[in-house]
This record gives sequence, structure tokens and C-alpha cells, in this order.
Amino acid sequence: MPTLKPTQPAVPQIVPTGKLRHLTTREVIPSNSNPRHLFDPEQLLELKNNIGEHGVLVPITVYQAKGQAKFSILDGERRYRCVVELEKEGHAGKAGGALTLPANVVEPPTKIAGLLYMFSIHNYREGWELMPTALGLKIVMEDLGTTDNKALVKLTGLSEPQIERCKKLLKFPEKFQEMSLDLDPKTRIPSNFWIEALPVLDLALETSEQLKKLGRDRSTEKLVDKYRNKKIKSVIHFRRIMEAYDLWEDDAPTRAKVLRRVEEFFLKPDLETRDAFDEFVVEKKRVQNALTACEEFLSQLRKYKLTYTTNEDERSNLRKALHEVQAYCESLEHALEGSDDPEAQHD
Amino acid sequence: MRGIIHSVRAALRFRGYKPQPLSWLSARRWIKQFDKKDRVLAKQLLDNVIYLSEATTREILVGRNAVLMKRLNEAGLPAKNLIYVSVHEAGSSSPVMLNLLRDAAFLEKLGCRLIDGRDTLNLVKAMNELGEGALIYVDDFVGSGTQFCTERDFIANNFVGTFSEFMLAPSICEEAFEKLDERGIQAFAGHKHVKSERPLHPECPVFDESQRQRVAAICKGIDKFGLGYKGLATMVVLYRNAPNTVPVMLRGNVNQRPYFGIFPRTIDLPLPS
Repeated sequence: MPTLKPTQPAVPQIVPTGKLRHLTTREVIPSNSNPRHLFDPEQLLELKNNIGEHGVLVPITVYQAKGQAKFSILDGERRYRCVVELEKEGHAGKAGGALTLPANVVEPPTKIAGLLYMFSIHNYREGWELMPTALGLKIVMEDLGTTDNKALVKLTGLSEPQIERCKKLLKFPEKFQEMSLDLDPKTRIPSNFWIEALPVLDLALETSEQLKKLGRDRSTEKLVDKYRNKKIKSVIHFRRIMEAYDLWEDDAPTRAKVLRRVEEFFLKPDLETRDAFDEFVVEKKRVQNALTACEEFLSQLRKYKLTYTTNEDERSNLRKALHEVQAYCESLEHALEGSDDPEAQHD
Repeated sequence: MRGIIHSVRAALRFRGYKPQPLSWLSARRWIKQFDKKDRVLAKQLLDNVIYLSEATTREILVGRNAVLMKRLNEAGLPAKNLIYVSVHEAGSSSPVMLNLLRDAAFLEKLGCRLIDGRDTLNLVKAMNELGEGALIYVDDFVGSGTQFCTERDFIANNFVGTFSEFMLAPSICEEAFEKLDERGIQAFAGHKHVKSERPLHPECPVFDESQRQRVAAICKGIDKFGLGYKGLATMVVLYRNAPNTVPVMLRGNVNQRPYFGIFPRTIDLPLPS
């Protein structure tokens, strides 16, 4: 697929100028990707009081889908909500009629513009299931002909790690993607399951002859069954498997034992993740060592009191080294983020 | 004699009810299981049932669909841009209604797409291919609208392109209209089932307060959720099933014991021995 350079023309604008109308709240519907938990109640109250006193001064932006009687909001959800609240409180418009909102009526957004709007909403939402974003991203990549992360970051406003995670989801066959779109939250497989399972699947299929014979789909199904039977209690536990593998890089016999355990883990439905891999991961000591390393590193750097250097090469080298440290720390910090916790409530 | 005439009328009026065909004898047996003083109330309740036969259901669906298609065509959305969506799980009323409409209105021949609403990936693909169009959800009856709206809101997170949304059903309760309206989904119903049509609702004049309480007590005596899902006590019965919002006095118990209904739901019927 060709790569779209970040300098290429951006996607169509979502808010061109349009006709001004005055609409009642009954004539307006919120967006489909309506982020119901997005707004700060205090700010909303301040805006509501302001609107109650002066009315809506800045027009909202709406469009009318073909065949649709009402207007969908593109911009101005907060103003709309404030007016709805004011109506509930008994406020009326001029001459006692319904309150109205000034609205710029524009053409419906293009498919891509609509998706980009959806991304901006998804970006704000906590605990958001990533699969819809991934499916949207797939369409954007196909339509705009780009898979380049940097270009996609610029286009979508999603972060690079988010894009990477979406791409991981898209690596799974549709029948598995569908499991994250299950209407029933009790049987839905969280998107994080696939993201965390991917490296384990790669490792298992690369190293186990039995799993190779079984095939990728069947191996994936075995993990799904385990998750549904609570033998993978948290998708975070997949990381223990990779940790167990990475930790024993220099110890061939133990690593071989880890790989045998990985195979066993796939093939024995009752084998639980922690029971299988805890013996290989001495977590507490590693975390303690990492904390000590952080303290020592900072203490050493501070000792040098380095704020400038006259040597251009040295300065460049030092900055490069610090960038590397920064990038690693950021990736580590991101990897440890709590939002990956599958047991966190999704809305 | 009047009892027999009432039963014969009921059997004629509700002919074609599929889960358990009605005869004047079964109507008579149904009435007789209530205390003598309650039979008048049971008859009144039965008289207020709004029955949609297969022919009426088809006629309503096809008629409302024709109006909708014409309107959408005028708005610039030809048949090929219309996606008909069945809601709820396979085997429920929605896919049956969609199939009925598909055949009666030649939807496939016209180029419309038909998709199971639970098949989100295919729905997204179809929306992506079309870019703009209309999503037309099809069902037989919408009660509170809660279940439909919960499912629709989840699917809506994946919507691509610009699509207007419609609910096409022979009958929709007034409670659901508001929920659909909040989401910009326009209801195309043959019949708006208002509270004043439901004898167990205070807005309905059929029973006085004491009669209403008595009937409600009989229903709750049969089952604690005897007024139906969310206590809606709706009165619309379709030829292929009674919605779960219909009072249990009409539907009867699970396995039809100790009370048997005049309109048992298929899942309420005992398995044949």
C-alpha cells in the first residue's frame, strides 16, 4: 500500500460554512458517537447559566442526512445539552415559545470526515472499546491508501500507540474481531484480549510444532475458550507469559521449560495463567530493582549539574542519549498504564 | 348462551394465531378458569386485544415500507442505498418480519441490502460501501424500546458514513416513540399503541379503578411480573406470537400451568410428549 506523506493534502474539512437557521431542540439529534460522559459538569453549568442569561450566541453546526427529518450535530453538543437542560427547568424562548438554537446547516460530512470526527470523540473517552476505532482506521487506511503511522497520527489525531494497537486488532480474522462487537457484554471479548494475546500467539506458533499443526485460528480459539472459562483471569496475565520468556533469555534450559509450559498452556484447558507462569516471574524483586535503578539514575545525573556544554558534538550526543532514555521511559510508562486492565469497567 | 357467542366471536376474531390455534371451545375453557365474578373482566380484557393477523401484518409492513421508500427516493436515496436490518437474535420476530417484508415487497430484487443487526462487521462493510443511505430496522412490535435502543446504541459506535435511521413495525408503543425520537430514528408504524388502549393503564377508560386493580391482582397472582415486561400491559397480539409485554392473564404461565393463556407465546407452550 503506498504511503501517504504527512504533507499531502489533509482530509476534507468537516465544518464548511452553511445556512443559518434557528432550530428547536426537538429538531436536533446528538451525534451517534455521542460522548455522554465527556463533559465536565461544572463547565457545563457555567455555560448553561451563560446561555440562560444571553442565549446561544455562537451557532452550532448541524447537517441533515438524506431522508432524515432532524438535524444531526457536528459541533455544539454542549450548547445543545445546555438548552435541553434549560427547557427542562422551564425556560422558554421569545414570546413564550420553545427555546431555539442558532445553527449553521452544512452538507453532511464525507465518510472520511465523519470517521475523523469519530476518532476525536473516541480519543476523549475512557474505557473505550478499541474495536470500532480499529474498524474505522481500516477504512481510513484503505480509502486514503496509507498505513504509515506518522501520517495516520496526523490525520486521525490518535496517538501512535493507539494506532499500533488498532493494527494489532486488525491482524485477527474477522470472526475474532466480531467477538469484540458482541452486543452482549457478558459474552463480549474485550479488544485488549487480542492485543495482549498477539505476542503470545506469535511466540507459541513459532516455537511449538504441535500448535503449528493445530493452526493459528484453532490456537486462538483455545485462548478464547480459556478466557471464557476464567482460566485467563485478566488479559494482563498474557504479559506474564512474555515476561517469563524474555527473562530467561540467557538461560537455555529454563527458557526451554517456559516454551514447553506455553505449549501446555494452550493445550490444557484447565491450566490457569498464573499457575502456569508465576514460577518463572519473580515480579516483586524486579520492580524493586527498577525503582532503585530510577533513583540511582536521577541521582547520578543531578550530580553532574549539566545544563550546558560548549562542545557541539558532545551536546548532540548527550541530547540523543537523553532522547533515547526519554522514549524508553515513555514506552515503559505507557505499557504500565492502568487502562489496559481488562477488569476495568467498559461502558 | 352469551358465553358461547362470546367464545365463537373470539375464535373468529383471533383465527390464525399460530403458536396455538384458537377454537370457540378453547376460548370457553380459557374464560371458565376464572372465578365467575371475574369472567366479565376477563372478557372485557379479551375484547380489547388488538389482533394483527398475518394478512394485516403483511399489509401494514408493505404499505408503510412503500411510503418510506418513496420518501427516501425523493430525498435522493434509491433502493440500493437502503439497508434493512433485523434486530435481536436469530429466531426472534424481527428476522421473521424482515423475511416477510423481503418477499412481499421484493426488497432483494429492488437492490436493497438485508443484514442481521448482530453481524456488525457486515453492517459496517455495507455502510462503508454505500457511504450514505438509510438503515431500516424491522420488527413486529416495539414495547418500551429499551432493548432495541441499547443494542442500537452499541452498534451505532461503528457506524460509517451518513445514514438516516427508521424503525418499521406493524405496531409501536408510545413509550418507544420517545426513545426512538431521541436518537433521530423515525418510527414507521401501522399503529401507535397508546396507553389509553390498554385496559390496565390508568389512562384507559375500559375498567374503573377497582376493576383494574382486580385484573392486575389476578395477573400478579399468576406471576409476579404478570403485567408483562416493564409492566406495560400492552394489548397488541400478532399472529405469530404475543409480545412479552402482554398481561399474563392472556398469555398464561410457562408450560401453561396452572393457568393457560388464550395467546400463549411459543416458549410458554409445553414440549409435545
